[in-house]
Amino acid sequence: MKIGTRLFLIVVVVAAGIWIWTLVHPSPDRVIRKRLAEVANAASFARGTGYFANVTGAERLAGFFATNAEVDIDMPGHSRQSLSGREDILQTALGARATLKSLSVEFPDVTLVVNRDKESAIADLTAEGRVAGDSDMFIQEMKFTLKKIDGKWLITRVETVQTLQGGGG
Amino acid sequence: MPLAHGPGCRTLMAMTESQETRKHSPGSWLRIAAVGRNPKTTLIRMVVLAAVCVVVFKYILLPVRVTGISMEPTYHDHSVNLINSLAYLRHEPQRGDVVGIRLTPGGEGSSTPRVMYLKRIVGLPGETIAFINGRVIVEGTALDERYEKWRCDWNCPPVTLGPTEYFVVGDNRTMPRRDHVFGRVQRSRIVGRAFL
Repeated sequence: MKIGTRLFLIVVVVAAGIWIWTLVHPSPDRVIRKRLAEVANAASFARGTGYFANVTGAERLAGFFATNAEVDIDMPGHSRQSLSGREDILQTALGARATLKSLSVEFPDVTLVVNRDKESAIADLTAEGRVAGDSDMFIQEMKFTLKKIDGKWLITRVETVQTLQGGGG
Repeated sequence: MPLAHGPGCRTLMAMTESQETRKHSPGSWLRIAAVGRNPKTTLIRMVVLAAVCVVVFKYILLPVRVTGISMEPTYHDHSVNLINSLAYLRHEPQRGDVVGIRLTPGGEGSSTPRVMYLKRIVGLPGETIAFINGRVIVEGTALDERYEKWRCDWNCPPVTLGPTEYFVVGDNRTMPRRDHVFGRVQRSRIVGRAFL
């Protein structure tokens, strides 16, 4: 075999090895982004979802939070809502699923900072939600604090961020 | 100029006619319209055009769809616009500019935001801004806002902007104040100026 072909094969094998390694051992950044996408997916529900599917969906959403997680939501035009603990989050999720016909949630822009210890991270993101029957979508900047607990990235705190300060809203 | 005669000439004339017929046949016109006279050149042109479009619409002129009524009557709900991200390369944002504002913190290496606020700059860094009976007061003087068609009764205490802060607000001031998102914004969050 020519030396050029050998070199080419070595490069291909090394590149494939690196690719497989990153698949098996993804970076915290990648894991958290994937997890946040799953959170958005779990928070969304379609029209006509059955009772048991709603309960499962709400439990799945609550499962992304730490047992002592805190949620502080203060959005323009809505009353402030503070939740404490996974159970509280679960009850609120169930209540939302019972009240709203459908909800579509997305986190389109995520800015992620993973701490040096790789055990905690802060995600600043845009939450985009659309409620059935409501022509406008809601858009809100939010901050998620995550911690690696028992090998899983769990949300410990969620808070709304005022993008524009000192004005209305 | 020599003239051609004889049977050989007839053959030549027949060939030329056949080429002419082929050239003007509907099939050839369709082929030229679809892939051009030189398909290779057309392919290169298409690739270059696609690359230019990707670069322009992903990094320079960012297409946005306006959602909401806070910029009425200047920009209507569901209208389409472009944000020129190169608008502030040579100079800083000016009063009256309609700008796209990213919701998540920007900075070097950050990707182009998918969601932005569209607001008008009314206050520049270092200025003191207030709302008195719906009028924007800059350094004690009422701002002449020709774009604002509908008056309101908003009142906000004076706010002094930091060295990298701008004050932005929508054109629709008839909305209840609590439903209208406005206020101070860091320069780093301003993505660019509305193009249309």
